[in-house]
Amino acid sequence: MLQFLIRRLIGAVVIMFLIGAFTFFLFYTIPQDFAALSCGKNCSPENLAVIRENLGLDKPITTQFWEFMTGIVTGRDFPQGHCSAPCLGVSFDSGNFVWDSIVDRFPLTLSLTVGGLVIFLVVGLGSGMLAAWKRGTVVDKIVSGASIVLSSFQIYLLGPIALGIFVYSSGLLDNPKYYPFTENPATWALGLLIPWAVMATIFTAQYTRMSRSTMIEQLQEEHVRTARAKGMSRSYVFFRYAWRGSLIPIVTIIGMDLSALLAGAVVTEFTFDLPGLGRLAVDSSINKDLPLTMGVMLFGAFFILLLNIVVDLAYAYIDPRVRLS
Amino acid sequence: MKPIRTRTVRAIAVAIAAGSLVLTGCSGGNDGGGSKGKSDAKSQADAAEQQDPVSYGDAAASTGPAKEVSGAKSGGFINVYQQSDLTHMDPGQIYVSDAKQFSNLVHRGLTHFQEDDKGNLTVVGDIATDSGQSSDGGKTWTYKLKDDIKDEDGNAITSADVRHSIERLYSKVIFDGPTFVQSWLSGNDYRKALPDGPYKGKHLPDSVLETPDDKTVVFHFDQPRPDLPQALTMPGYSIVPEKQDTKEKYDHAPKALGPYKIAEYKAGKSIKLVKNDQWDAKSDPVRHQYVDGFNFSNTIDAASQTKRLLADQGEAKNAIQFTDSVDPAQLSTVINDASAKKRTIHGYQPYVWQMTFNLDRMKDKKVRDAITYALPNQSMVQADGGRYGGEVAGGLLAPTLPGFDPEYDPFGKLKKPNGDPEKAKALLKEAGVKEGTKLTYAYSNTPRGQAQMVIIKDALAKIGFDVQAKEIDRASFYEQVGKLDNPYDIYMTGWGQDWPSPSTVITPVYDGELIADGLSNYSHINDSEVNALIKKALNEEPEEAAKTWEKAHHRIVEEINPAAPVYYSKQIQLYGSNIGGARYSTESSYIDINNLYLKQP
Repeated sequence: MLQFLIRRLIGAVVIMFLIGAFTFFLFYTIPQDFAALSCGKNCSPENLAVIRENLGLDKPITTQFWEFMTGIVTGRDFPQGHCSAPCLGVSFDSGNFVWDSIVDRFPLTLSLTVGGLVIFLVVGLGSGMLAAWKRGTVVDKIVSGASIVLSSFQIYLLGPIALGIFVYSSGLLDNPKYYPFTENPATWALGLLIPWAVMATIFTAQYTRMSRSTMIEQLQEEHVRTARAKGMSRSYVFFRYAWRGSLIPIVTIIGMDLSALLAGAVVTEFTFDLPGLGRLAVDSSINKDLPLTMGVMLFGAFFILLLNIVVDLAYAYIDPRVRLS
Repeated sequence: MKPIRTRTVRAIAVAIAAGSLVLTGCSGGNDGGGSKGKSDAKSQADAAEQQDPVSYGDAAASTGPAKEVSGAKSGGFINVYQQSDLTHMDPGQIYVSDAKQFSNLVHRGLTHFQEDDKGNLTVVGDIATDSGQSSDGGKTWTYKLKDDIKDEDGNAITSADVRHSIERLYSKVIFDGPTFVQSWLSGNDYRKALPDGPYKGKHLPDSVLETPDDKTVVFHFDQPRPDLPQALTMPGYSIVPEKQDTKEKYDHAPKALGPYKIAEYKAGKSIKLVKNDQWDAKSDPVRHQYVDGFNFSNTIDAASQTKRLLADQGEAKNAIQFTDSVDPAQLSTVINDASAKKRTIHGYQPYVWQMTFNLDRMKDKKVRDAITYALPNQSMVQADGGRYGGEVAGGLLAPTLPGFDPEYDPFGKLKKPNGDPEKAKALLKEAGVKEGTKLTYAYSNTPRGQAQMVIIKDALAKIGFDVQAKEIDRASFYEQVGKLDNPYDIYMTGWGQDWPSPSTVITPVYDGELIADGLSNYSHINDSEVNALIKKALNEEPEEAAKTWEKAHHRIVEEINPAAPVYYSKQIQLYGSNIGGARYSTESSYIDINNLYLKQP
């Protein structure tokens, strides 16, 4: 177990370094003077030189890259002050420390993810299991049909419709907004209710279909039939044997969805004008804000790698036959 | 001032400027629903009525408090919708419209524009007792500071703070703000006069900038600078108290002298302004402090802003658009909805969109004239929001400038707003241009740029050009076309004044002595007669200068034609039903941020 963790963590660090290097040098293939983007009307050579110096663009590319990567571990000093580790540099555009921007945006993205996740897991897995339990009945057909219809929707379609109904027309709810959970949990939930509902509607469908099919598959497994033959109750076998067996593929999908959402639910954030990590990533990329883009990329990569490890650990927990070696 | 530049993807139309001729009575419902002809006739008449130059106010005009807004109430917070963060908050770095609007709430300078109910502008003393006393034929300007001006922490503002605010502009800390005053004081390479600014104990000599006592500041120039009071209204020259200056950090946490101060700033996301209890209304002839504060949301795009304000539900009732406009796709909905139309303000912006010719490649004036005649100006306006987005231009000076002549139309665009292809073809024939000649057109990859590209390509194809359209990323468009050796024949550029004087348009865009990479003479025009007229006008008194500028303008448009006039830019914004005091500001060309209150706080 320990060896597995150490090996995976070393691998994660190497992958993150490669992602950082790839992003950094890819940026420099753009035929663009980054300093000119910050240069206003009086874009004289003197002003350009000042901006280059301020942004550190007057140094060789390799030096810039090395300073960026070492700053993550040791921190760096900037005219704005000391940037503590993990320092991801200073945004070309805003002049803010990148880490501060990410930390500022992350609670919203985390809230979106957690709230949406709870709803779509509970509803999605529940309805999928119900459909499997009632296989072939009207209930199964309704649940399966609804999941096919709902999975064909997109956030950018359902979002504006939900806003139109609940905000613009009826005024039942205010425009979605993030309020810190620590300030008032009720306001926090109410502010994100519409995005959660829309996200859940779409994500729920795939979990319903996935859990239904894997449950049905598991119910046909020999060990499940054997358990039933031994006289165990249907519900006991359903939850103790079939459900547990069906979790492996579901956990895989959850891991992928969760890492993608934590790295930034771009479409959701844009649809509801919510300033989370996804929006930060897109804005920084369009602005050609190299440090911010790299910071968000690395932060997202961190979650993808972390959740991959967590998923592997979960496999071992769910299925004792899996060994982490 | 500046081009309509997209500095970043946040893509804000930059504008700092003020306009003296913007439509008055531009609140919703005045002309929005009338016939087009009637409405445009009214626009032109209003513009014609307001060609008085900006006046300079005395001590009485500079004394606060500002005139009360009828029916104004105190209390509540206004929600501000904006699609991107402010470009800067450090006064020295401020040069574009979003930050300028913000500056009106937070910063104060020596002078400021005061706007009356008809949109006429007067320069008044802001923290100074008047708009400035000139002597020595306009080469020396003296400012006396008002008593009891304090920053948000209660520190008294003295002449040393004014000196510091000017001198810090010489340092490397500042790179994005206006450079007029520095250049006038120390020349175009002004940074060499004080390379570290005031940060290492050095100062400009008293022969340049003098502070004989705590209340007096004297500027010494080597030639008359009649525009100084107007230049000093720019937020770039607002006060940064010496003790409070944190250099680079100041851009995120500036100290207020104005009626509001920053309570919370989250980069790229939000700003909360609250009342500055050190601001004294009696010292301020321009601003009010009716509401308790402003909550900025800087991630709401123009489409969402319009949807929210159209619906006018919940928090949107207390909301305004800051420097963004009504979403063009929802414009007809807004105009056709009587309740929404009442909640709009609209008027001219200081920008003129022009089809710039790269004179290093487009050497034949007949060809340039042919393209000018062929351009379908009205269609270009339609692609930018229609009659509320712009108006066909006859010349290169905006209706917001003193001396604007609504009849000026050397290319007959007002009579034939969609161009005269026959005349264009005849000119091309005279010039010996063959059918299928390639023409490289660069455009910005904004939705508007893409829509206009199709129109231009089609129009120029009709007169025989094979238009090679080259898309440029919006963030770097002006950087690319600002290169002297750029590979493009024609490109659309926009420009607006820094203050209501042609000097801030003709000089930066058409002066042949200002041709260099990164500068704003995008056509590379270098005409000795135009250059001479510019020099002459800059040294003349306003009345004489106005005639010289007009002569230069006519010479540029008719004799050189470095850029075809396309359309004057216009602005329309929407606000919530609980907002009171909303009016179009001639000074900012946006909603007048200083006058707002909540009807039901």
